[in-house]
Amino acid sequence: MGSMLPDTVHKLPREERFAYARLLAYMARIDDELTISEMAMFEQRLGAALLSPDQRDMIRDDLRNPPSLEDCMENLSGEAGRLALRDAVLMAAADGNVDEDERDALEDISEMLGLREDAVEQLLNWTVNGYKWMKEGFDILENLEE
Amino acid sequence: MFPDGLGHRTPQELRRYADILVYIAAADGELVREEIAVIEAMMGRCMIHPEVRVDIRSGFEHPVPLEQSLVDLDPELIRFILRDAAFVAAIDGSYDPKEIRALKAIAKAGGVSKDVLSSLLDWVGAGWNWYQDFSEIL
Repeated sequence: MGSMLPDTVHKLPREERFAYARLLAYMARIDDELTISEMAMFEQRLGAALLSPDQRDMIRDDLRNPPSLEDCMENLSGEAGRLALRDAVLMAAADGNVDEDERDALEDISEMLGLREDAVEQLLNWTVNGYKWMKEGFDILENLEE
Repeated sequence: MFPDGLGHRTPQELRRYADILVYIAAADGELVREEIAVIEAMMGRCMIHPEVRVDIRSGFEHPVPLEQSLVDLDPELIRFILRDAAFVAAIDGSYDPKEIRALKAIAKAGGVSKDVLSSLLDWVGAGWNWYQDFSEIL
Protein backbone atom coordinates (compact mmCIF):
# COMPACT_ATOMS: atom_id res chain seq x y z
CA MET A 1 0.00 0.00 0.00
CA GLY A 2 1.37 3.36 -0.95
CA SER A 3 0.26 5.50 1.89
CA MET A 4 -0.54 5.33 5.54
CA LEU A 5 -3.76 6.11 7.26
CA PRO A 6 -5.17 6.43 10.73
CA ASP A 7 -5.41 2.97 12.17
CA THR A 8 -6.51 1.20 15.31
CA VAL A 9 -4.53 -2.02 15.09
CA HIS A 10 -1.92 -0.73 17.55
CA LYS A 11 -4.68 -0.16 20.12
CA LEU A 12 -5.63 -3.84 20.29
CA PRO A 13 -4.42 -5.92 23.24
CA ARG A 14 -1.01 -7.44 22.58
CA GLU A 15 -2.32 -11.02 22.22
CA GLU A 16 -4.89 -9.88 19.66
CA ARG A 17 -2.26 -7.98 17.66
CA PHE A 18 -0.28 -11.20 17.55
CA ALA A 19 -3.31 -13.18 16.39
CA TYR A 20 -4.01 -10.48 13.79
CA ALA A 21 -0.48 -10.81 12.41
CA ARG A 22 -0.69 -14.61 12.36
CA LEU A 23 -3.74 -14.42 10.17
CA LEU A 24 -1.88 -12.17 7.75
CA ALA A 25 1.00 -14.68 7.71
CA TYR A 26 -1.50 -17.38 6.87
CA MET A 27 -2.90 -15.25 4.04
CA ALA A 28 0.56 -14.47 2.72
CA ARG A 29 1.23 -18.17 2.18
CA ILE A 30 -2.16 -19.10 0.70
CA ASP A 31 -0.96 -19.64 -2.84
CA ASP A 32 2.68 -20.39 -1.95
CA GLU A 33 3.59 -17.34 -3.96
CA LEU A 34 4.52 -14.24 -2.00
CA THR A 35 5.03 -11.27 -4.31
CA ILE A 36 7.15 -8.27 -3.36
CA SER A 37 3.98 -6.16 -3.09
CA GLU A 38 2.36 -8.66 -0.75
CA MET A 39 5.52 -8.92 1.33
CA ALA A 40 5.77 -5.12 1.58
CA MET A 41 2.15 -4.97 2.70
CA PHE A 42 2.72 -7.78 5.19
CA GLU A 43 5.77 -6.04 6.67
CA GLN A 44 3.85 -2.78 6.77
CA ARG A 45 1.04 -4.31 8.80
CA LEU A 46 3.52 -6.08 11.06
CA GLY A 47 5.07 -2.68 11.77
CA ALA A 48 1.69 -1.06 12.41
CA ALA A 49 0.84 -3.79 14.92
CA LEU A 50 3.82 -2.76 17.10
CA LEU A 51 4.74 -6.35 17.86
CA SER A 52 7.69 -7.14 20.11
CA PRO A 53 10.86 -8.42 18.40
CA ASP A 54 10.11 -11.93 19.71
CA GLN A 55 6.60 -11.83 18.33
CA ARG A 56 7.92 -10.65 14.96
CA ASP A 57 10.31 -13.59 14.88
CA MET A 58 7.43 -15.96 15.61
CA ILE A 59 5.34 -14.40 12.86
CA ARG A 60 8.19 -14.69 10.37
CA ASP A 61 8.47 -18.34 11.40
CA ASP A 62 4.77 -18.67 10.63
CA LEU A 63 5.60 -17.49 7.12
CA ARG A 64 7.95 -20.46 6.75
CA ASN A 65 5.57 -22.90 8.45
CA PRO A 66 2.08 -21.51 7.98
CA PRO A 67 -0.43 -22.23 10.76
CA SER A 68 -3.88 -23.59 9.97
CA LEU A 69 -6.70 -21.11 9.53
CA GLU A 70 -8.44 -22.57 12.58
CA ASP A 71 -5.32 -21.94 14.71
CA CYS A 72 -5.14 -18.36 13.46
CA MET A 73 -8.77 -17.67 14.23
CA GLU A 74 -8.64 -19.09 17.74
CA ASN A 75 -7.64 -15.84 19.48
CA LEU A 76 -9.18 -13.29 17.18
CA SER A 77 -11.90 -11.21 18.80
CA GLY A 78 -14.54 -9.31 16.88
CA GLU A 79 -12.59 -6.10 16.28
CA ALA A 80 -9.21 -7.76 15.75
CA GLY A 81 -10.88 -10.21 13.39
CA ARG A 82 -12.50 -7.46 11.34
CA LEU A 83 -9.24 -5.53 11.10
CA ALA A 84 -7.42 -8.73 10.16
CA LEU A 85 -9.94 -9.45 7.40
CA ARG A 86 -9.67 -5.88 6.12
CA ASP A 87 -5.88 -6.06 5.98
CA ALA A 88 -5.96 -9.57 4.54
CA VAL A 89 -8.00 -8.11 1.68
CA LEU A 90 -5.53 -5.24 1.24
CA MET A 91 -2.65 -7.68 1.25
CA ALA A 92 -4.27 -10.12 -1.15
CA ALA A 93 -4.98 -7.24 -3.54
CA ALA A 94 -1.55 -5.65 -3.18
CA ASP A 95 -0.23 -7.23 -6.36
CA GLY A 96 -3.31 -6.19 -8.33
CA ASN A 97 -4.94 -9.58 -8.36
CA VAL A 98 -6.93 -11.65 -5.86
CA ASP A 99 -6.76 -15.24 -7.04
CA GLU A 100 -9.33 -17.94 -6.37
CA ASP A 101 -7.52 -19.50 -3.39
CA GLU A 102 -7.13 -16.11 -1.75
CA ARG A 103 -10.76 -15.24 -2.37
CA ASP A 104 -11.89 -18.56 -0.89
CA ALA A 105 -9.75 -17.98 2.21
CA LEU A 106 -11.13 -14.47 2.65
CA GLU A 107 -14.68 -15.82 2.41
CA ASP A 108 -13.84 -18.52 4.99
CA ILE A 109 -12.46 -15.91 7.39
CA SER A 110 -15.50 -13.73 6.93
CA GLU A 111 -17.79 -16.66 7.62
CA MET A 112 -15.82 -17.67 10.74
CA LEU A 113 -16.15 -14.10 12.00
CA GLY A 114 -19.89 -14.23 11.38
CA LEU A 115 -19.85 -11.26 9.01
CA ARG A 116 -22.49 -10.56 6.43
CA GLU A 117 -22.37 -12.49 3.17
CA ASP A 118 -21.16 -9.65 0.98
CA ALA A 119 -18.46 -8.43 3.41
CA VAL A 120 -15.51 -9.56 1.29
CA GLU A 121 -17.05 -8.10 -1.86
CA GLN A 122 -17.58 -4.80 -0.06
CA LEU A 123 -14.02 -4.79 1.22
CA LEU A 124 -12.68 -5.49 -2.25
CA ASN A 125 -14.67 -2.54 -3.61
CA TRP A 126 -13.35 -0.40 -0.76
CA THR A 127 -9.82 -1.52 -1.63
CA VAL A 128 -10.31 -0.51 -5.26
CA ASN A 129 -11.47 2.93 -4.12
CA GLY A 130 -8.37 3.17 -1.96
CA TYR A 131 -6.21 2.28 -4.90
CA LYS A 132 -7.81 5.09 -6.91
CA TRP A 133 -7.16 7.53 -4.10
CA MET A 134 -3.53 6.45 -3.80
CA LYS A 135 -3.10 6.80 -7.53
CA GLU A 136 -4.40 10.37 -7.25
CA GLY A 137 -1.69 11.07 -4.70
CA PHE A 138 0.86 9.61 -7.06
CA ASP A 139 -0.46 11.82 -9.84
CA ILE A 140 -0.19 14.94 -7.64
CA LEU A 141 3.44 14.04 -7.00
CA GLU A 142 4.03 13.87 -10.73
CA ASN A 143 2.96 17.52 -11.03
CA LEU A 144 4.54 19.01 -7.95
CA GLU A 145 7.30 21.08 -9.49
CA GLU A 146 7.03 24.86 -9.26
CA MET B 1 -1.19 -2.52 -7.20
CA PHE B 2 -0.41 0.22 -4.68
CA PRO B 3 2.16 2.63 -6.07
CA ASP B 4 4.52 4.05 -3.46
CA GLY B 5 7.44 5.28 -5.55
CA LEU B 6 9.98 3.89 -3.09
CA GLY B 7 10.56 0.35 -4.32
CA HIS B 8 13.74 1.10 -6.27
CA ARG B 9 15.45 3.26 -3.63
CA THR B 10 18.78 2.33 -2.06
CA PRO B 11 19.11 1.38 1.62
CA GLN B 12 20.89 4.70 2.21
CA GLU B 13 18.04 6.65 0.64
CA LEU B 14 15.47 4.72 2.65
CA ARG B 15 17.42 5.47 5.80
CA ARG B 16 17.16 9.20 5.04
CA TYR B 17 13.46 8.75 4.25
CA ALA B 18 12.86 7.16 7.65
CA ASP B 19 15.04 9.69 9.50
CA ILE B 20 12.94 12.52 8.06
CA LEU B 21 9.69 10.83 9.09
CA VAL B 22 11.06 10.41 12.60
CA TYR B 23 12.02 14.09 12.61
CA ILE B 24 8.46 15.02 11.67
CA ALA B 25 6.98 12.77 14.35
CA ALA B 26 9.23 14.32 16.98
CA ALA B 27 8.80 17.91 15.69
CA ASP B 28 6.02 18.87 18.09
CA GLY B 29 8.00 17.52 21.03
CA GLU B 30 5.39 14.92 21.81
CA LEU B 31 5.65 11.45 20.36
CA VAL B 32 2.36 9.54 20.47
CA ARG B 33 1.79 5.83 19.90
CA GLU B 34 0.02 6.54 16.61
CA GLU B 35 3.13 8.25 15.25
CA ILE B 36 5.36 5.37 16.28
CA ALA B 37 2.94 2.88 14.71
CA VAL B 38 2.83 4.74 11.39
CA ILE B 39 6.61 5.05 11.22
CA GLU B 40 7.04 1.36 12.06
CA ALA B 41 4.55 0.59 9.30
CA MET B 42 6.39 2.78 6.80
CA MET B 43 9.72 1.19 7.68
CA GLY B 44 8.08 -2.20 7.20
CA ARG B 45 6.61 -1.24 3.86
CA CYS B 46 10.05 -0.21 2.60
CA MET B 47 11.42 -3.43 4.06
CA ILE B 48 14.20 -1.57 5.85
CA HIS B 49 16.54 -4.07 7.48
CA PRO B 50 15.56 -4.82 11.11
CA GLU B 51 18.97 -3.78 12.45
CA VAL B 52 18.78 -0.45 10.62
CA ARG B 53 15.34 0.07 12.11
CA VAL B 54 16.88 -0.16 15.58
CA ASP B 55 19.22 2.72 14.67
CA ILE B 56 16.38 4.73 13.17
CA ARG B 57 14.32 4.32 16.36
CA SER B 58 17.07 6.06 18.31
CA GLY B 59 15.98 9.17 16.42
CA PHE B 60 12.78 9.23 18.47
CA GLU B 61 14.95 10.57 21.30
CA HIS B 62 17.48 12.49 19.20
CA PRO B 63 16.19 13.15 15.68
CA VAL B 64 18.65 13.74 12.86
CA PRO B 65 18.39 17.44 11.86
CA LEU B 66 16.11 17.85 8.87
CA GLU B 67 18.63 19.89 6.87
CA GLN B 68 21.19 17.11 7.29
CA SER B 69 18.78 14.44 6.03
CA LEU B 70 17.74 16.50 3.01
CA VAL B 71 21.27 17.23 1.75
CA ASP B 72 21.85 15.98 -1.81
CA LEU B 73 18.63 13.99 -1.97
CA ASP B 74 16.99 13.38 -5.31
CA PRO B 75 14.04 15.85 -5.62
CA GLU B 76 11.74 13.04 -6.77
CA LEU B 77 12.48 11.13 -3.58
CA ILE B 78 11.92 14.28 -1.54
CA ARG B 79 8.41 14.54 -3.01
CA PHE B 80 7.56 11.02 -1.87
CA ILE B 81 9.03 11.83 1.52
CA LEU B 82 6.84 14.93 1.62
CA ARG B 83 3.76 12.80 0.92
CA ASP B 84 4.52 10.37 3.74
CA ALA B 85 5.69 13.13 6.07
CA ALA B 86 2.29 14.77 5.64
CA PHE B 87 0.70 11.52 6.82
CA VAL B 88 2.94 11.28 9.84
CA ALA B 89 2.25 14.91 10.74
CA ALA B 90 -1.51 14.39 10.47
CA ILE B 91 -1.69 11.08 12.28
CA ASP B 92 -2.35 12.60 15.70
CA GLY B 93 -5.32 14.54 14.32
CA SER B 94 -3.85 17.95 13.53
CA TYR B 95 -0.88 19.74 12.04
CA ASP B 96 1.30 21.41 14.65
CA PRO B 97 2.97 24.70 13.52
CA LYS B 98 6.39 23.04 13.87
CA GLU B 99 5.23 20.18 11.69
CA ILE B 100 3.95 22.64 9.09
CA ARG B 101 7.28 24.45 9.11
CA ALA B 102 9.10 21.17 8.56
CA LEU B 103 6.72 20.17 5.75
CA LYS B 104 7.33 23.52 4.06
CA ALA B 105 11.08 23.00 4.32
CA ILE B 106 10.75 19.56 2.71
CA ALA B 107 8.49 20.99 0.00
CA LYS B 108 11.02 23.72 -0.77
CA ALA B 109 13.83 21.16 -1.02
CA GLY B 110 11.71 19.12 -3.41
CA GLY B 111 10.73 22.09 -5.56
CA VAL B 112 7.09 21.87 -4.49
CA SER B 113 4.91 24.98 -4.54
CA LYS B 114 2.75 26.05 -1.58
CA ASP B 115 -0.42 25.47 -3.61
CA VAL B 116 0.56 21.94 -4.46
CA LEU B 117 1.55 21.28 -0.86
CA SER B 118 -1.91 22.45 0.09
CA SER B 119 -3.41 20.03 -2.46
CA LEU B 120 -1.35 17.25 -0.98
CA LEU B 121 -2.66 17.97 2.51
CA ASP B 122 -6.21 17.93 1.13
CA TRP B 123 -5.45 14.61 -0.47
CA VAL B 124 -4.31 13.25 2.91
CA GLY B 125 -7.69 14.32 4.31
CA ALA B 126 -9.49 12.52 1.48
CA GLY B 127 -7.57 9.37 2.40
CA TRP B 128 -8.81 9.65 5.96
CA ASN B 129 -12.37 9.65 4.65
CA TRP B 130 -11.73 6.65 2.47
CA TYR B 131 -10.17 4.74 5.34
CA GLN B 132 -13.00 5.50 7.68
CA ASP B 133 -15.51 4.16 5.16
CA PHE B 134 -14.23 0.78 6.30
CA SER B 135 -16.11 1.12 9.57
CA GLU B 136 -19.38 1.42 7.64
CA ILE B 137 -18.67 -1.80 5.75
CA LEU B 138 -18.02 -4.01 8.78
